[in-house]
Order: sequence, then structure tokens, then C-alpha cells
Amino acid sequence: MFKVCNVSDIKENSLNKFTIEKKDILVGKRNGKFFACDNSCPHRGASLHKGVYKENNVVCYMHNYEFDVVTGKLTNMKSWKKSDTWIEQNPAWRESGDLIMYEIEIKQNQVYVKIPPNQ
Amino acid sequence: MTTDYKEKIGELTGIEVIVKNGIDVEKLRKLLLAGVGAEFFTYYYYTILRMHCTGRDGEGIKEIVEDARIEDRNHFEAMVPRLYEIGGALPRDVRQFADLAGCPDAYLPEDWEDVEQILKVLLEAERCAIRSWGEVCDYTTDKDHRTYAIAQAIMQEEIEHEAWFVELLTKRPSGHFRRSYVGQSPHTAGHGGLQHL
Repeated sequence: MFKVCNVSDIKENSLNKFTIEKKDILVGKRNGKFFACDNSCPHRGASLHKGVYKENNVVCYMHNYEFDVVTGKLTNMKSWKKSDTWIEQNPAWRESGDLIMYEIEIKQNQVYVKIPPNQ
Repeated sequence: MTTDYKEKIGELTGIEVIVKNGIDVEKLRKLLLAGVGAEFFTYYYYTILRMHCTGRDGEGIKEIVEDARIEDRNHFEAMVPRLYEIGGALPRDVRQFADLAGCPDAYLPEDWEDVEQILKVLLEAERCAIRSWGEVCDYTTDKDHRTYAIAQAIMQEEIEHEAWFVELLTKRPSGHFRRSYVGQSPHTAGHGGLQHL
């Protein structure tokens, strides 16, 4: 596991980017719970730390794709054009994976993240 | 993608230096492919949008749409050589390229006779492009000077395009006048061998 920062560095409702072993990771805290994932949006690679929270989701600033920060699952893709979704776009373009989640651990007021070697 | 060159001459120094600076080359290839895809297809869709700038209102914006259309094509031309330099490539099938583009398709709106609806599509396309090249700039700054220089030049023009369309939609002054000639690309023209300019 890699030591990332102090617990006090991660404020509630914040999205923080760290670079570990040349990889950009996102560490946040929502509803009192810490989480960590790859900082690249699985849709087109935008930096998720530039996004915002909506309920339990992080919303990517690039195309408003929403991912659950606990499960990593894609939950919504809101379009600027139609209020609900990017439905007007080609299905292949809309396709996205889920977040790549990392195991996170708090020990002695430090935040640790486990990044598998193949990622 | 040819890979056996490494056995003959080793890694390209141009790649070696950016890797040493912390660039994940595969990630950068994906970002650039998304960026040039957005430019290529924006050029395509802007052609349709420009064709539908009709009537007195439409005629008033046609030339500025043309400026943005050709400069977006120039952005594609400026960055594609860099994609190949770092070992990337355009997809063999253009359909796959469309699916990988960094921005949504800028479709002609159903109510295209209302010029404002066309302007909103143009504006969103420019905004997506700014975000897309902003990602490349953020990722490459201080690490990959060559990619940064091209992406930064493209982004400057995209920001100007956004300001044009905002001005047309809202009357907020953009601070700019139109280009001296179509396809001028004042910031990007020195990149990517834009010999047709």
C-alpha cells in the first residue's frame, strides 16, 4: 500500500488528485467515507477531480457522466442538450466502463491506497 | 503498430524523455486520439451546420462558422503528426474513430431555422474542445513540451471560437474581430506542417 496523505488533507465533499507511481488517483470523502479510484474518467479520460458531487456520485465535468463513488458503477449520463441523458448520441460513443476503484485504508491518521501492479 | 524498431535502434529519445518526466504514453495517445477525433468530426458537423445558416440571420453568422470550421480541421492536422510521433495511430475504420472522439456529435438541431439553436450547438462543441485540450495541457505541462505547445495553441483558438459564439448569442463582447482569411489559425499555423495554409 502507498501512503498518500494525512487524513486531515481530505476534507468532506472534496475531490483530491494525487500522483502515485506516475499514476493519477482520486481520493475523496463523501458522507464521512473515504474512497479512492483512478482519476481518469472511464468514458474519455477526463480528470475526475475537476468534477462535482451529486448525491453519492462524482459527476465528470467533461460530459456529465455520473459514477457511484462507493461501487464505481456508472449511474447516469446527463446531456446538456436533453435534460435526462445523452440518448441522442450514438450508443457506441456513449459507452463507458465503470470507475477503477482502489482499496483504501486509514492507519494512524494516514491515508493508504493499494494500487495493483498491473494498473 | 510497428514495434520491432526498438530492436534496431532502441526507444525513440523523443518518447524516452517524456516517459522519464512521468508521462504515461498510452494514456497520452488516448487523450490525443480523443482530441483529434473531436476536431475531425466537428469539422464534418460544422459543414452541415454552416450549410443551414440561411436567411438574413443565418447569413450573418455563416462566415464566422466557416472560420471555426476550417480552424478545427487545422487542429486535426496540427496534432495528428504528434500522435504518430509518440507511437499512436488513427483507427483504420473511421466508424471506430467516431466512437472514440472526445466530444459528442454536433448534430444539426431539429429547429435549425432558428439560428440561435445552431449557435448553441456550435458553442457546446467549442466548450467540449476547450475541456478536451485543457486535459492535454494539464497532463503535459512541464513533462512533454512538444505536445503541450501544440495543444496550448489549439486551445487558444478554441477559446476564441467560444467567445465568438457567446458574443453572437448574448452580445457579450468577445474582444476579437474575425480572421484575416479563412483558416488563418493564428496560434496553430506553425504546428503540424500546415502547408496548405
